[in-house]
Amino acid sequence: MKRKSQGDPSRDTIAAIITPPGEGGLGAIRISGPGAHSVIERIFRPAESDVSAGRMFHLYYGHIVDVNSGVIDEVTMAEMPEGKSYTGQKQAEIFCHGGRFVLQRILEEIFRFNVRPAEPGEFTRRAFLAGRIDLARAEAVAELVASKTEYSYSAARKNLLGLLSERIEKLRTRAVELIAEIEASIDFPDEALETAERNRLVAMIDDMIADAGELVGSYKAGRIIKEGYRIAITGRPNAGKSSLFNVLLNQNRALVTPTPGTTRDYLTEWIDLDGVAVSITDTAGLRSGAGPIEKAGMASALKILKESDRVVWIADISRKSWRKELTADLDEYGSGHSILMILNKIDKLKDLDKKKGGKTSFSRRGGTAVPISCKTKAGMGALRRALVGRIRDSMPDLTDGIVVTSGRHKRKLENFLRSLKRVRKGIERAISPELAAFEMRQGINEIDEITGRIYNEEILDRIFSRFCVGK
Amino acid sequence: MKHPDFDIIVVGGGHAGVEAALAASRMNKTVGLVTMDREKLALMSCNPAIGGLGKSHIVKEIDALGGLMAKAIDATGIQFRKLNLSHGPAVWSTRAQADRVAYASFVSDFVVSDRNVTIIEGVAGALITDRGHVAGIETEDGRRLFSRVVILCTGTFLGGLIHVGEKKTKAGRRGEKAAYKLAESLVSLGFEVGRLKTGTPPRIDGTTVDCAKCQIQPGMEPVPFFSHTTAIRPMRQVPCHLTYTTARTKEIITRNLMRSPMFSGQIRSIGPRYCPSIEDKIHRFSDKPRHQIFLEPEGNGTDEIYPNGFSTSLPEDVQREAIRTVIGLEGAVITKPGYAIEYDYCPAHQIRATLETKRIRGLFFAGQINGTSGYEEAGGQGVTAGINAVLKIDKEPPFVLDRAEAYIGVMIDDLITHSTTEPYRMFTSRAEYRLRLREDNARDRLIGYARKYGLVSDDEFEEFKVLQDETRKEIGRLKKTIVPVATLDGLSRHFVRRESISLADLLKVPGVVYKDVEPFLKGDGRPPELNSEVIERASIIIKYEGYIKKQEREVEKFRRMESELIPPDFSFEGLSGLRNEAGEKFGRFRPSSLGQASRIEGVTSGDIAALSIHLMKYRTQSKNPQQKKK
Repeated sequence: MKRKSQGDPSRDTIAAIITPPGEGGLGAIRISGPGAHSVIERIFRPAESDVSAGRMFHLYYGHIVDVNSGVIDEVTMAEMPEGKSYTGQKQAEIFCHGGRFVLQRILEEIFRFNVRPAEPGEFTRRAFLAGRIDLARAEAVAELVASKTEYSYSAARKNLLGLLSERIEKLRTRAVELIAEIEASIDFPDEALETAERNRLVAMIDDMIADAGELVGSYKAGRIIKEGYRIAITGRPNAGKSSLFNVLLNQNRALVTPTPGTTRDYLTEWIDLDGVAVSITDTAGLRSGAGPIEKAGMASALKILKESDRVVWIADISRKSWRKELTADLDEYGSGHSILMILNKIDKLKDLDKKKGGKTSFSRRGGTAVPISCKTKAGMGALRRALVGRIRDSMPDLTDGIVVTSGRHKRKLENFLRSLKRVRKGIERAISPELAAFEMRQGINEIDEITGRIYNEEILDRIFSRFCVGK
Repeated sequence: MKHPDFDIIVVGGGHAGVEAALAASRMNKTVGLVTMDREKLALMSCNPAIGGLGKSHIVKEIDALGGLMAKAIDATGIQFRKLNLSHGPAVWSTRAQADRVAYASFVSDFVVSDRNVTIIEGVAGALITDRGHVAGIETEDGRRLFSRVVILCTGTFLGGLIHVGEKKTKAGRRGEKAAYKLAESLVSLGFEVGRLKTGTPPRIDGTTVDCAKCQIQPGMEPVPFFSHTTAIRPMRQVPCHLTYTTARTKEIITRNLMRSPMFSGQIRSIGPRYCPSIEDKIHRFSDKPRHQIFLEPEGNGTDEIYPNGFSTSLPEDVQREAIRTVIGLEGAVITKPGYAIEYDYCPAHQIRATLETKRIRGLFFAGQINGTSGYEEAGGQGVTAGINAVLKIDKEPPFVLDRAEAYIGVMIDDLITHSTTEPYRMFTSRAEYRLRLREDNARDRLIGYARKYGLVSDDEFEEFKVLQDETRKEIGRLKKTIVPVATLDGLSRHFVRRESISLADLLKVPGVVYKDVEPFLKGDGRPPELNSEVIERASIIIKYEGYIKKQEREVEKFRRMESELIPPDFSFEGLSGLRNEAGEKFGRFRPSSLGQASRIEGVTSGDIAALSIHLMKYRTQSKNPQQKKK
């Protein structure tokens, strides 16, 4: 067997976030393996176009871009050659803004290029094999791996993670059932077994596709649990965006000290709202009917709206034309977002006006605005209740409560889903069963990388329990 | 140590023993083959057939390694079929009915005429050992035979106990002795010995069968022979017949269920699920109104019929009554009753991939003693044990096939990484790299080994090189020949978006065969007579190309794990970070590579991660530079 230089047991290129979880000003990602430098070539653009990348141990300044050349983040980046890096392999390190979201996005871009997520301790493992670190440190890694296993083991019994693996396990059981049907028709050709016909196989697969699709879809909810719920505040200039931002911060437990958000022009703060980590970003104002120059200035605000889970749209109710303006603003920028409307400055309304029914009510597409005053704190309880309600709505139904929180799991499930679709297409086109079985096994392999199992014997168990075989 | 009588002693003249002896002989070692009855070498104790799914693959591998099984069945078969032809070539499988008596005498003649093999009649009673190394055997009548290596291929004879209804008889086969003292010898040497069960149906007098009531199953033409050395020739084939049990069968068996030793509790050991007794089938699948029975002739010179699917250990009177309820068997006369047999085996965590025991050096196990069932499985192990026995004597590196290389590799790896829960039989679904492990490419996969160990002649080797070369050329030609889509007529609909395609791409379309693309090759310097084997080989490779490429990536991953060797002196005890269950399993199976460790039942990826770290630590401490190369 071909083998690369000593101490290089795996030739995969791997990547992972190497800064500790949680918010920090800076985040770092390490890529290690033979493909590390070519990935950089694909996703990194030096800020100055005349600078050519590729120099080792040079700190470059530039941007990480996605496949459509959209900028994901502004970063610094350094590359190390084989033999002179932490892992001893070709390596690159990217330093970006510390938000979990940005880190995750960059990582996902990296994974597009035949890079896989690093297993716990894998960088250190490679470093050890390359003789870069000593035994004591490798042992520390062993402890880490061990404790992680122990943790997952006990965690599997009681928390969401356990329920998730239960559900994945169910999906897997059905995949094994499917493959058993196919295998039985291969391995027992003389037995005239009543194996499922094509239509029933396709129905079984469709069922699994729906289920796996749901799990993949739950990743969003899972991300909220893990990375927090994102609220963006917007509205016209002087509607009270910053006041609301401050009031929300002061009335709730702040989670961390202020840090730059995903975009530096804006302030993002983290609060604990009913047990959920919520990030609040105060954006620049939005105004309908703006000219081209003003519009350009609003681009980044719009981008934040797009990335948020909920947009709090605030209007100044003391303005005569607030109703018309809010309607126009929402018409122009509001579509595609989940919006909570707020009517601020109710303290400025005369008692008389307040009493008049309908003056402070505003509804749109079934949503009703919440009247508040940032100055007197009137209506803040209602606002809090409304926000908590909205957050709960976007969280998974906890009676089922199954969400995929890990990006790695999501990827595996997506691959599983792809295999299912290939099997389905194959069965519809009547390809040979051994090829359908091959595709299905590949799918099960993906799931097995989540649950860590081996299954040849299981398929036979399934066949023997379902079919009467034996000439 | 006393001067050895033989290089190798093989105990048992069944399908494993014979292949082991012949392999060793081909490698120029002297062999003493100890058997109870020299007239009964390679006897088919149960069904008179060779091959079937997964099993035929092993037969082709034995053939590629110079073994006898394929040649023997080709010479003595009375009906040949190829199964699964409606599926892809990876799961095509040859199966043949044998003339039971002719098969055994063909093998006997071959063994007797082998100059390196000496047949010794007797019952092995004990192993002779010397400081952890085997030194020979002692027969029950007190003869002491010395050798450097001993291969035990004891089949159902080791502690064999036959059950027919309430009746129990110590025997290895109907009317034959069993080896009880040898089992005791193994226990006293510290081996863990377990018990398995298998069974066989009654035999029927064929002249009392009404075949007109059954469905005829003829053989196939041209005859699909097993061995690459067999020349295609016409032959008269004998048909089998398919029939069914009836409601009366069910009634009688259900009424007498408690008289079956399997149900009365008389037999506690486990039988194979893929080959259940008729009482078991009726009991477990009680909603099935009827069960298939195949009536298979036992040979040309006999009227005896083997009713495949009617294995039973019910009392004789019940067997007689029940068999006559089967359609076409209303007047059937039983010539020999069916029976169940219990026998001893040694759970296979006690052997290495070479089939040498971990406990006693130079002692090898092959066949049912390792918990398998089937002539083919036994034969595959026999060849492996025979080759490794020689390599052991010559102090050469061992012969180990991996899971991506051969069904034999899959089988042995399964045996040494899993606890036996029933007699092990091969299925194609056991092979995760099934698309690579085909009947048609057995020689491509194994000829390198056969050559290295001197198991094929130079002529054979050169001939095969030519075949490989022609196949490569033909694939190249099909890839290089480009045709305009417009000229494809009916087939053009598969390529709506292209103007021209290669014949190879055309051949990949499901349902398209070589005959369909052949007309386009005309005038392209096509050799006048292209060997049909070349055509078949080229077609299969092209059809599977995309899938094989995908599988290749998995194979690479697999081999990387296999090459992470665990040194034999590595201690699995008290490793931190391992779950208790995993620690126990590692201790029991003592895997020799990280890959093997990962396949042990109940082991998680976390356990493997922890184990791999401990291994690194071990390597550094012992100052061993990395993994040893093969």
